[in-house]
Amino acid sequence: MLDQLLFYLDFPFVRYAIIVGTLISLCSSLLGVTLVLKRYSYIGDGLSHVAFGALAIAAVLKVTNNMFIILPITVAVAVLLLCGGKDAQIKGDAAIAMVSAGSLAIGYLLMNIFSASGNVAGDVCTTLFGSMSILTLKPTDVYLCVALSIVVLITFVLFYHKIFAITFDENFARATGVNVNLFNLLIAIIIAVIIVLAMNLVGALLVSALVVFPALSAMRVFKSFFTVTIAAAVISVVCSLTGILVAILAGTPVGSTIVAMDIVVFLVCYITSAIRNKKA
Amino acid sequence: MRKINLYKIFSRIAVIVVLCIFSLANKSIAADSTSANRINIDLSRMSATMVYSMVFQMVTEPQKFIGKRIKMKGAFSSYQDEETGRRFFGCVIKDALACCSQGLAFEAFKPRKYPKDFPREGSPITIIGRFDYEKEDDGIGFPIIRNAIFIE
Repeated sequence: MLDQLLFYLDFPFVRYAIIVGTLISLCSSLLGVTLVLKRYSYIGDGLSHVAFGALAIAAVLKVTNNMFIILPITVAVAVLLLCGGKDAQIKGDAAIAMVSAGSLAIGYLLMNIFSASGNVAGDVCTTLFGSMSILTLKPTDVYLCVALSIVVLITFVLFYHKIFAITFDENFARATGVNVNLFNLLIAIIIAVIIVLAMNLVGALLVSALVVFPALSAMRVFKSFFTVTIAAAVISVVCSLTGILVAILAGTPVGSTIVAMDIVVFLVCYITSAIRNKKA
Repeated sequence: MRKINLYKIFSRIAVIVVLCIFSLANKSIAADSTSANRINIDLSRMSATMVYSMVFQMVTEPQKFIGKRIKMKGAFSSYQDEETGRRFFGCVIKDALACCSQGLAFEAFKPRKYPKDFPREGSPITIIGRFDYEKEDDGIGFPIIRNAIFIE
């Protein structure tokens, strides 16, 4: 098995998948903790469907680099959803559900009517379930992903204390002089970037798992924001790497294998927490 | 104290990322060989996920693979172009949902008659041949394995 793994690692696209998978899982887990605590767990799902719709538009327009269409549309919708505030006419989960289902439907419709590809089912399957897309990346995709991931990581580290403050109590953060609206906007943009990147790893339908599972697993075992964030990052990276390696060795779809790893780790953390609470 | 720890962790992550990026420069195609009869890329040794990804690379960047000897295992498939009358033969790798199937066209080493000299549709086959890229009149091309021999 080790020989087989070393044989596979000799292929550049496998190394690209490992690098991109590590970075995406790291970024998604960091923001995952904030999203879960702010009760926005489902936003990842909604935005990934928006990204799918935007991908279909890019395909129809035959844009060479579809990131120029997907990223601005997803960021705009993320800002509308997360920064709409109390004045928004359609709020919270209703807005996410509407945007999510609407984008998915429009995306699929556009792909069917205007698709230049002979295999619409294959295109949709790969985009929604991330069957193999992480293993079909080109060097330019990798460099773009590395650049965006570094921006996300630097932003998170620089504004860690502000993000911590608005995660738990926006009113208190506002009272201490934090520009809550600005940081909510920043979080919305970062989330949109992460979702667009994560679509390559696990596909549009499974993005939420990448955001939610590591955070929830870490919360079973650790209690402070800092330790939960670090543990979520470690869990997410380990699950993604294991998932990618198992997928290429066993021939299973990459996205669902990564999510299966996340579920296993969540169950282990849940049982550990239950045993610890029983003893206490 | 916590802030310092976070910076330490971040710097370590940054070092790992930089090392990984440098490793990207070290590109190679696995199992490259100079010997004429040796198989350069053995797809029959690979898992379905790897075969799919490898065939995707061959379809999108065929120039990197032209002339390489390929061994491939999959299901036999054939299709006749109604306009030209030409029959194409393919070795197809199906995924679990059969929505992301990938395959390569092949041309038999010795002239054979269809269907008498070919396997049944969907039956498992293993072929060895040389990778090529066939350009059509409209400029659009497709990858094909030339001089393919069937391995029992």
